[in-house]
Parts: sequence; structure tokens; C-alpha cells
Amino acid sequence: MVRDMVRRGFLLTVLVVVSAVVWASAPWSGSVLADEEEPAQEARQEEAVAVRLYLAEGTVPAEDPTAAAWAEVPVSEFRLSPQVHWPDRLLDATVKSVKVRGLHDGERVAILLEYQDPTEDAADAAALEFMVGDKKAHFAHGQEMLQVEGGPVNIWYWTHASGKAVDMSAKGFGTLKTQTHQDVAAKGVWQDGTWRVVFSRSLETSSKEQDVQILLGEWSNVAFAMWDGKMLESGEPKEKGSQKAVSSWWSLRAEPPADYSVVLYGFLGLVIAALFELAFVKKLKKGQEA
Amino acid sequence: MKGPLLKSALVVIGVIVFLYWVLPLFTAPLPASLIWLYIALTVSSILIFVTMSASSLEAFMGPITRFLTGEGQVGIVRTVRIVFLVLVPFLVGWGTYATLAPSDEPPTENRTIHPAPPGEFVGLSNPLPNTPENITAGQGRYFSLCFPCHGVFDGKGPAAVGFNPPPADFKDSGTIAQLQESFLFWRIKTGGVGLPVEGMPWKSAMPRWEFELSDEEIWKIIMGEYAGSGHKPRTWEEEEEEE
Repeated sequence: MVRDMVRRGFLLTVLVVVSAVVWASAPWSGSVLADEEEPAQEARQEEAVAVRLYLAEGTVPAEDPTAAAWAEVPVSEFRLSPQVHWPDRLLDATVKSVKVRGLHDGERVAILLEYQDPTEDAADAAALEFMVGDKKAHFAHGQEMLQVEGGPVNIWYWTHASGKAVDMSAKGFGTLKTQTHQDVAAKGVWQDGTWRVVFSRSLETSSKEQDVQILLGEWSNVAFAMWDGKMLESGEPKEKGSQKAVSSWWSLRAEPPADYSVVLYGFLGLVIAALFELAFVKKLKKGQEA
Repeated sequence: MKGPLLKSALVVIGVIVFLYWVLPLFTAPLPASLIWLYIALTVSSILIFVTMSASSLEAFMGPITRFLTGEGQVGIVRTVRIVFLVLVPFLVGWGTYATLAPSDEPPTENRTIHPAPPGEFVGLSNPLPNTPENITAGQGRYFSLCFPCHGVFDGKGPAAVGFNPPPADFKDSGTIAQLQESFLFWRIKTGGVGLPVEGMPWKSAMPRWEFELSDEEIWKIIMGEYAGSGHKPRTWEEEEEEE
């Protein structure tokens, strides 16, 4: 009688522990019991906070901003402000928002900017900005911060007039300079009031102090700038230098290839649970017969 | 026979329903960890209760054992047992996967919106008299310099949309209504780059106005902002009265 009770008590304990483990590890427990709700996924396109560089099937269309492959890539759209942070300011910028798509093939990365600009002008320009290294950098050219030691920024600057991109560095106002080692390529195509500009570079470079290193699966930061180079009657372009459309920092990540080891662990969990369950039911049956 | 097991299940469900849905009607929702603790306490109390004697244990365990072994089962109960036994390993496998799979969401940022100002700004008070002339002068500067982002004191200026974090809404009861004038003086004078690390200065587009405005102009703008937003600054006197 006592032995039977001990056995039943043991089985009951096992049952409770297994139920608790199943419940706690089940995917729903995260959402039901977590203190905070997960952010809604569908909001991604409406109010993007991140650029995802997806793993391309084949090579990245780095030379062609109109390639059909780009149409398959999910878009993140970011609104832009006229640059009002430091003089010379601008109160109304032509470009109001930018659609961003990104691809990588494990070696090279290509980022496509698509934005409305009614006129094609020689002085039209677009740029991407990245933080370099571990220190945070202010989005305005790595401007000096008073209580925080900042890092440098890497700027990829494309101009329609040159037809190419310049790889630049800055750490504070007035420090913007062209790097000695140029790694960035770009190509822009204007059509029916829309610029499509694709920037490309290898994910990693040799100059780690000056260039952003895009490591698979790791989050970094990106900001955007566009200039409408339409000539005014004064003979000056509408926007140049600090007068441009800008964004502050958003997140950026090169998506890593699918990690199948996690699937394997899941399968292992399934097998162990099934074996345990089998043994448990067998033991119960044995006890019943006795 | 189904008595103790059914009762126990009802008690646990009742506790969960109470903690999750009934209690929040009267008070703030409990933290998930506390809810877990209460559920664990309920379950262990039930276990202690049913293991008190062999017969109570048998009454509790009997239905579970019979369900799991499939003894004498027919029809729907038989099917439910098979589905249950198949489902459990799959749930464990899925749970393992969900726990180990790396998150692909951008890092969340816990930015402190109103961090503590540096010592030299604490306790400063507006040296200018609160006169209509000063307010008008301050609002004139406000509309030429601050309006592009902060709008008509509502944070919805035409230049606000590209910036993250968004410019402060002065009409909101959670911004300047909660702050002393010295805090605004600090924020305007040193701008976004004057924030401490918890304020994430690298993201703020607020200009460092000390390069372009005199202290006197800044104090006038502060007066203009309070008058325009319909709020009053917090003062030391008020806080002493509250205490």
C-alpha cells in the first residue's frame, strides 16, 4: 500500500513537472505571460524602423537600380525632414520620404534608395550614413556630444554629376573628408520623377577605423540624406551642403543565412519528449496491471 | 471518481481567470512573475492536499492514469488520447525551437526622455520678469526657430516627420508641465548633444542653441513656450507645498 502510494506520488510529480515544462516552453507562453506585448509585425512597412539586407538568390543587382530582382525585395519607407539641426538650415526639402531595399550575397551588399524628385538635375545627390565602430556617433556627421564620447561616421555620397559614389568619413562638423581608400560603387537612374540609386560595397573592408563593417545578423545604424540639385534663378542649386532632406538613425541588419542547427535542436527536443512519454505510459500501464 | 481532479482543474482555472482578467478591473495588472508565483502556489497546495492519503491520491490520479494508458477507452476519448500523446512531443519540439531561435527584431531602446540635468543647470530660475513684452519677444523667436519641428507648441511642425525621437509636444501634460524652467534652459542651450548617455544624444535633432542664441533670448523663448502651451513651470515652492 505504502509502496504503491510512493510510486503514484512519484508519477504524479513527474506528470506535473513535465506539464510545467511543456507549458513554459510552449511558444504561446511568451506572448500570454510576458510583461510587454510584442511589437506588431504588420507595422513594418507603414512605419519602418529598420532596413533589412536580405540574402540574395544569386548575385546582388549592384549595377542596376531598375533590375527586376529589386521588385521582390521588401521595402522599408522612411520619412525625411528638411535639415534644421545646424546652419545653414533648410525649411522645405524636396524629398519627403525614401523607400529602401537591401540585398547581400554574403560578400557584397547593395542598398537601393528610391525617392520622388520631379526634376533630373546635375546637382542631385543622395547619401547613406553609418556609425563606425562600437562608439555611438551623432547622426549629424558624428557631431561632438557633451557628455558622451562619440565615434566617427562613414558616408557613402552619390552625385548625379559624377555618376559614382565617394566613400567619406567624418567625426564632427567640418571634418568631412574623402577617404584615401575608395570601396563604394553607386549607380543612379532617374525616370518619371523618381530617382533609383543603388549603392554597393563588400560587407567588410580592410579599413575598420573608417568604414562601417556589416556583419551578418548584427544590428547597426543607418541614416539618409538627399539633395534636390534643381538650379534656381540665382544660379545656385536649391539644395546643397547642409541644406538637404535628412533622417536621424534607424536600424540596419544583414540577414544571416537560416540557421538549421536550431531546427535540429527542436527536433531533438521532440524525440526526447516522445521517448520519455512512451516510457512514462508504459510504466503507468505496468502499475495498472499490478 | 472525477471529483478531485475536476475540482482541482476548476480551482487552477479560477485562479488564472481571477489574476488575469478580474483583478485588472480593480487595480493595475499584476506582473507576470507574480502571477506565475500564485499559480505555482495554487498547484503545489492542491498537490499537497491530494497526496495526504492513498485514497485521495488514487481518486486524483485514477482518471489521469486511465486516460494516459487508454484502459477501456472507445470512440472520441480514444482519439483525444492519441492526439494528446502525439501533440505533447511536438509542443516540446516547437517550444525548444521557439526558445532557441534568435530574435530578428531590432534592439529595443529604453531611452530616458527627461534625464537629470548637469549640476550647473539645477536650480536656475528665469531672471527676466514675466511681462507681455518678454513673452511676445520669446514667441517671435519661437516661431522662427522652434516652430519648424515643435509646431504650434504641439510637436507637429512641418520638419518633425524625419526625426526619431520626435520633437517634444509642449501641450502634452507629460512634457514642460512637469519640468522646471531650468530644465528647459539646459535642453535649449546644449540641445540633443548635451544629453547624457541614457538620453541617447546621438539620435536627437535638437540644435545646440548656445551657439546661436544668448541666455536672455533662451529665457524669453521659455516664457513664450509656457504661455503658448497653456502650462506653468514647476517651481521649488510648489514642490515644498506638496511635501
